[in-house]
Amino acid sequence: MKTEDTLKDVMATVLGIAADSINDDTSMDTVETWDSIKHMNLVLAIEEEFGVSIPDEDAANITSYPLIRLVLNEQLKGK
Amino acid sequence: MSETADLIALLTAPGTTLTRTISAVNALEKLAQPRRRVRIGISSNVSVDLLSVFLRKHALLCGASADVCMGNHDDPLTDVAQFIQAGVEEMVFLPFFDNLLPAFERQIELLEPDAVAAKEADLRARYRLVFEKARSLRQVYACSFHRFSPAVDTGAADTVSRVLDRFNEMLRSEAEAFPNVRVVDTGAIVHLLGAEAAFDTRFYLRSTAPFATPFVNELARRIVAGARGFNSYFYKALVLDCDNTLWGGIIGEDLIEGIKLDPHSYPGRVFWQAQQAFLALERQGVLLCLCSKNNPEDVDEVFDKHPNSVLRREHIAARQVNWTDKVSNLQAIARELNIGLDSLVFIDDSDFECNAVRSALPAVRVFQVPKALTDYPRLLTEIRELFLAGGISAESRSKTAQYRQRQEAAESSAQFETNEQYLASLDLRVQLSRDDTANLARISELTLKSNQFNLTTLRQSPAEIQQRIDSAAGTVYSLGASDRFGNAGLTGVVLASWQGETARIDAFLMSCRVIGRGVEFCFWPALAEDARRHGCRFIEAEYRPTAKNAQVADFYDRLGLPLVAEDNGTRYYRAALDSFTPPPIDWIKVTQ
Repeated sequence: MKTEDTLKDVMATVLGIAADSINDDTSMDTVETWDSIKHMNLVLAIEEEFGVSIPDEDAANITSYPLIRLVLNEQLKGK
Repeated sequence: MSETADLIALLTAPGTTLTRTISAVNALEKLAQPRRRVRIGISSNVSVDLLSVFLRKHALLCGASADVCMGNHDDPLTDVAQFIQAGVEEMVFLPFFDNLLPAFERQIELLEPDAVAAKEADLRARYRLVFEKARSLRQVYACSFHRFSPAVDTGAADTVSRVLDRFNEMLRSEAEAFPNVRVVDTGAIVHLLGAEAAFDTRFYLRSTAPFATPFVNELARRIVAGARGFNSYFYKALVLDCDNTLWGGIIGEDLIEGIKLDPHSYPGRVFWQAQQAFLALERQGVLLCLCSKNNPEDVDEVFDKHPNSVLRREHIAARQVNWTDKVSNLQAIARELNIGLDSLVFIDDSDFECNAVRSALPAVRVFQVPKALTDYPRLLTEIRELFLAGGISAESRSKTAQYRQRQEAAESSAQFETNEQYLASLDLRVQLSRDDTANLARISELTLKSNQFNLTTLRQSPAEIQQRIDSAAGTVYSLGASDRFGNAGLTGVVLASWQGETARIDAFLMSCRVIGRGVEFCFWPALAEDARRHGCRFIEAEYRPTAKNAQVADFYDRLGLPLVAEDNGTRYYRAALDSFTPPPIDWIKVTQ
């Protein structure tokens, strides 16, 4: 699976939304179930699924799908 | 079916990621038809959102299903009230030590002793109130305190640990007063995983969410094991193979001098330790049985004469040592002990035997002795947990002796001309009690585990029994029986309620240990008298069929109650108290 599809899958599972509903507008502001607790679960799940460690300064700020994708790709490149 | 099996395999596999766990739990809940549903509330002073996923996971692995609702932050009293309103049956109460005050572990060294003592007194009062309010819940899992940050070893006693121990003692002593509160040892989980794996400091500092997923998974697993899979199992007997299970080697070939069994060398010490573990289970009331393809004399020789055999013949409640297949032998053991196949745990070293039993008797829980013997101790731990994690009442301890009395009684019954003569010779005595709070735990346990002699199979937690005892609208009858062979302990329960002119029998059950001697008829004269005193004129009772209780389908007929209706196997009985005469039981001395 492409990274983006896996990422959408992880977000869909943790946030309890449909994977095909996720696009560049998807963010903490537009998804009702995406609160601070679910955000933490999301960071955990992404780290585990991709085997990366999201830097502490980014963890709190990646509150939209494009931002997560950006930070994740940086981490994957560095691997 | 295979999709279910795949999902279960995924959930039990080590290293399954959080994402895959969540989606497997969701999928399995849609597919499975759980035998039991339970509503659980979680109340904590930290964020433990993931505990709900893992409680649902471990419930599913036991064939049950859990609905979980989260309480507020550090507000247990409101949580309990809301849980009760929402129909929650069980509650996880998880106070996190380091967050009792902000960074409590750091503060302790700076606080005045008085301030710590005041905090302790404040928590004690608060927990007492929480448990008091939670009385009507079936179960409360109160998690003990554990450390978050490691202590510096100064060579002197550590201040934080001392306060922690004191707080844990406080929590336990408050919990003890409530039969429905069970303490879960979270320190043991941190010890098992190590603090590095148990906690995530990042999320603790950012979102007050201290636990990493391994901790939450293990906590949920232990809670579900402590609830016996939310009452989806209750094992009573451990059936043991002999060769390469109780000792190394084959007694028929290696002979008594050749088998491996001793405390001081490998691999003999592995088997010696296993025997120690099995005997410890026997002491706790687990029935040990043998199921082995061997000549009985050879096996007896080990039990009687081997200097390092921990297990002796008197520890064995039932044995099938012969050349018959193990499936038939396990069935024979269940019959002899008068328990269901689903009460048996079976251990064998052979792939063939394990697979044969798994496929022919799916109700039996099967374990295989690991090929690598150094893994055997881990299996012993797992088996101990299966039998003991649900808790045991003192009455249950060392039941083998009682079953052996029963065996001897069966043997001596052959010498009498009539059954009445035999019964009279037994010197049967019955002690009938009403609302016996002292035996609350045992009464509840009997309602939870009796299957065969159980008229309505109404399961009652200690809290529910307590409510019945406290209520004037009903009476909890319990009965202890003894005979010249020994004391069988508390073995029968009737739950009656007084509803206007009618005395209703909500539940009647007996332990199978004493059936066939008329003890089951001892309740009724006293109960009829009580009913009249409560202004009742009628008695109503029913038999509700289950897969296991066919043997008592006609009990109320034998008791002399007229059948008034029958619906789908459920049989309804009703009689005027004036015309109700229970059968006489002259050979039993009943005291009240």
